[in-house]
Amino acid sequence: MTAPPTGAPSSDAAALGQENVRAVAAARGLAPEDLDIRLRADASSYTVVLVLFAIAIGWLLIGSIFGDIASLKLHWPDFLTRQSWLTFGRVRTAHLHAVNYGWATAALIGTSLWLTPRLVHNELKSPVAALIGGALFTLGIAVGIIGVLLGFSDGMEWLEANRYTAGPLLVIGGGLVGLSLFRTVAARRAAHLYVSVWYILGAFIWFPMLYVTGKWPTWTGVESAAVNWFFAHNVLGFWLTAMSVGAAYYFIPKVLGRPIYSYQLSVVGFWSLAMFYSLNGMHHLVGGPLPTWMITTSIVASVFMFIPVVATGINLHMTVVGRFGALRYSPTLRFVVLGAIAYTAVSLQGSFTALREVNRVTHFTHWTVAHSHVGGYAFVTFVAFGAMYYIVPRLVGHEWPSARLVRWHFNTVLAGIAIYVVSLTWAGVAQGLALLDARLPFQISVERSLPGLYGRSLGGLILTVGHFIFAWHFWRMVRMPTGAQPGARPPFHEAQPILYTDEAEAGRPQTFRAAAHSDQIARAPAAHDGNVRPAQGTS
Amino acid sequence: MIPSSLPVIVATAVLTLLAAVVLAWGYWRGFFRDFDAQARVIFEPEDLRLERPWETPVDRLEREMRHGKLVAPAPGEWGGAA
Repeated sequence: MTAPPTGAPSSDAAALGQENVRAVAAARGLAPEDLDIRLRADASSYTVVLVLFAIAIGWLLIGSIFGDIASLKLHWPDFLTRQSWLTFGRVRTAHLHAVNYGWATAALIGTSLWLTPRLVHNELKSPVAALIGGALFTLGIAVGIIGVLLGFSDGMEWLEANRYTAGPLLVIGGGLVGLSLFRTVAARRAAHLYVSVWYILGAFIWFPMLYVTGKWPTWTGVESAAVNWFFAHNVLGFWLTAMSVGAAYYFIPKVLGRPIYSYQLSVVGFWSLAMFYSLNGMHHLVGGPLPTWMITTSIVASVFMFIPVVATGINLHMTVVGRFGALRYSPTLRFVVLGAIAYTAVSLQGSFTALREVNRVTHFTHWTVAHSHVGGYAFVTFVAFGAMYYIVPRLVGHEWPSARLVRWHFNTVLAGIAIYVVSLTWAGVAQGLALLDARLPFQISVERSLPGLYGRSLGGLILTVGHFIFAWHFWRMVRMPTGAQPGARPPFHEAQPILYTDEAEAGRPQTFRAAAHSDQIARAPAAHDGNVRPAQGTS
Repeated sequence: MIPSSLPVIVATAVLTLLAAVVLAWGYWRGFFRDFDAQARVIFEPEDLRLERPWETPVDRLEREMRHGKLVAPAPGEWGGAA
């Protein structure tokens, strides 16, 4: 059969699609509308999620190279000194932007766009807006990084990208993605909002508020420093952490096939994060020229973080307890569970570091860099890797080509981050103690931290190798034609070839949105499993 | 001249108040009822009937008694080539 030019399937194709869904559903003992909703949810986010994942991996490689260059310069000061755009101050900032906004943000937005339709039992709304938003956001990151490399920086850490060139692209891009997500949740069929949806929605409400506050052009002097750390710390807790914890709350119970240990605790975790997190950033300014009460309040708020962290940590840990053997079978679980453990560790370390006595030693040392990598890498990036291992096969219709490459990827990044964090944590303490000793010249603090800096470069290079392995595997994955592994197709993909018949014949993508059986789904008595609300429902 | 703490205090107050308002609204709209059903919203019937290779025979029997006859997972079910 031939696809009409508009992309709408012929009635024959639609009938075949319905029949196929019914047949597959019957074979698996499912209600056809359940399967159909799932297939349509996945298909609606197909293009935007795959594009965002590809973009994210591109940024991961670029960011890794910048990170390695910056790291090498710390113990090899004559390395790449002739080009101004390769000086430490610029490549380090480019690394931070590429990995945090390019890689982690794009990967987690992609994950959120895939998760949300599944969680609300509906298609992704405005997928084109989300795609354009993702493209604009990426362009904004690129403009920001190029500007930084050329020497144009707004001069605030985490906010260096120029507010007048990169800023509008980031705001409009993020806004369009948010629009798509909010429309999807508003049109939900699920009767309940799972905790992951709260985290995702929270992230997309908080980030614009933080960004506009951070980029407001009137801040100066000490005020500017306070706003800087208000943004820089909250962008971790309210943006990257929120989306990552939301993803962990989905993937761990989903793979294990058992509900989260205590749903009540997950709700406590989310709302206590929302209530107490925002003042944490001031603990980066302990000893700085800010009111003492403000710093003290921030330290208290940091200690309050025990509540959401312990709630989330206990919850995720207790969900896995007795099932740790599953980590051998599921790379997704391996990455996400380790990420969840790192979340607990980095959060408790953060509360501990906020205390004045600890901060006195660790402030302005490599300890902080190690700490931020436990959060940004061992937690956020591991969750993002785990999510991609789960999602991509369900998008492209076949299993990852090589179990060996998955193992190599996992082993290299685990070894890399372990070497990195242990080296720099140790170096940070040695450096801090040397700096506090008035009898020692400054040079001693540098010499004592030097072995840690070598460890940092070694760990960073191993991480980069792991990233190239992952990127190569992803490339092989998306290049492989659907159906290339007939014996190794992921769940439910046997239902897709017929629904995708028009795509195959027309040589272009077509979503389930156009399927003629959508009317049938809208009319279906959808409350059969208690999870789906009627299409005309009001809740 | 405004105090250096003002922007952060105002921004923090807005974020906290917003969270409090949404929490109250969510409670009023009934988003915090029936937690057991909320915890299960991620599962489709088949998720609970898949044979999981790491489970003990007792676990499998328990799952079978609760959710019906177990079915074999498709390759890649657990995310990534294991």
